Amino acid sequence: MIDVKNLYKKFDDLEVLKGVSYHINPGEKIVIVGPSGSGKSTFLRCLNLLETPTAGEIVFDGEVITDPKTDINQVRRHMGMVFQHFNLFNNLTILQNITLAPVKLKIMTEEEAKEKAMQLLERVGLVDKADAYPSSLSGGQKQRIAIVRSLAMNPKVMLFDEPTSALDPEMVGEVLEVMKELADAGMTMVVVTHEMGFAKEVGTKVLFMDEGQIVEENTPEEFFSNPQSERLQEFLSKVL
Amino acid sequence: MEWFAKLAETELAKKITAAFITEDRWKLYFEGLGVTLQVSLFAVIIGIVIGTIVAIMKLSTKKNGKPTILAHIANIYIDIIRGTPAVLQLLIMYYGVFYFSRNAVLVAAISFGINSGAYVAEIIRAGILAVDKGQTEAGRSLGLSGAQTMIYIVLPQAFKNVLPPLVNEFIVLIKETAIVGYVGLSDLTRVANQIRSKTYDAFTSLIGAAILYFILVKILTKLLGILERRLRKSDRR
Repeated sequence: MIDVKNLYKKFDDLEVLKGVSYHINPGEKIVIVGPSGSGKSTFLRCLNLLETPTAGEIVFDGEVITDPKTDINQVRRHMGMVFQHFNLFNNLTILQNITLAPVKLKIMTEEEAKEKAMQLLERVGLVDKADAYPSSLSGGQKQRIAIVRSLAMNPKVMLFDEPTSALDPEMVGEVLEVMKELADAGMTMVVVTHEMGFAKEVGTKVLFMDEGQIVEENTPEEFFSNPQSERLQEFLSKVL
Repeated sequence: MEWFAKLAETELAKKITAAFITEDRWKLYFEGLGVTLQVSLFAVIIGIVIGTIVAIMKLSTKKNGKPTILAHIANIYIDIIRGTPAVLQLLIMYYGVFYFSRNAVLVAAISFGINSGAYVAEIIRAGILAVDKGQTEAGRSLGLSGAQTMIYIVLPQAFKNVLPPLVNEFIVLIKETAIVGYVGLSDLTRVANQIRSKTYDAFTSLIGAAILYFILVKILTKLLGILERRLRKSDRR
């Protein structure tokens, strides 16, 4: 579904990705862990071209999205993204946040989008917040809305960039719960996170990134019980 | 009623009568105010449109992060406008660029609009920069184009952020239009000045005009204050 070939990304003189290749199949839940500065967020942000790779190729559903001729806006409709800092649109109500893209991109009519939004809000238990503004919501509520906003576009894959890192501890659970439900429903997911419990429970594959490369890749059981590389062993001893 | 007759005999009453009542002169002030309002209102609208476009031009970058040719053009425009007197710009517009049109209200409005646009551009640019980058990223990640993200998400927040300095700019603009007498327009200032020269009394007519400007600005400040509170609705916790 997503095929990444030899990806490089340089910020000025700093090389953040040094040749990352990976293949993601439909339905997989890829969890990426690693120390900060390892390039995992940059890798994720390259997948929907929020960062433009310096070199390498990304193929999504048979389309080379790193080709400058590709209409990236079309591609992004099928890739949802959830950010660490939620990034709900502050000038719009919750309902408007969810319906803006489907309506403006003429994928749904106003009514259809509204109906879909209310269904999704029901799923995450936030129907009563439909007419509220983001500033009145808690962090956990904001992140659940952010997930819903992406889902309203019916994406084929969901990218999560440290979705729980900015949350108060007591709100992490409610967000992970929504993500688990999404995983159970068969969504293809790529998740950058520090939640090792989530990686174990939900991941089909866990990747360890360090210094701009994928150092190790394995099933969750093997990844945590039988780490191969020294760097992963060291990392796990610090976080577990 | 004796006191009233006495009052009417005083020097001040005579001056006020001469400045405002004789020959229905008060009407002239309001006609002048009308001209001031027309020029200001059109100039504000032109200023916002130009300012927004120029702000976006100035912020445009190429893929490698360098400013585009549009950004350079925006910079040159802002530099020229800020570096020359408004009254000179007005004269150049009226006697030079638009020599074929004697619609002074329109030319003055365009001239002040172009002038104001340079200042508004810098205000709005600051407003756009103050909007969190994550807002744009979220918009783009949903498949919205750069323009759609700008129009529906970034600009509304930018305008809200910079409403106070924008209001300030408009107040300055209203008062700056007091120079349109240079191209023959009878605005509030020019009317007051003409009446001064008829009555040989500088104080009364000019103070009268000053009070009208003051009231106008006061009303506008109030109205825009209400608008600002409405826009702040989304901040309520």
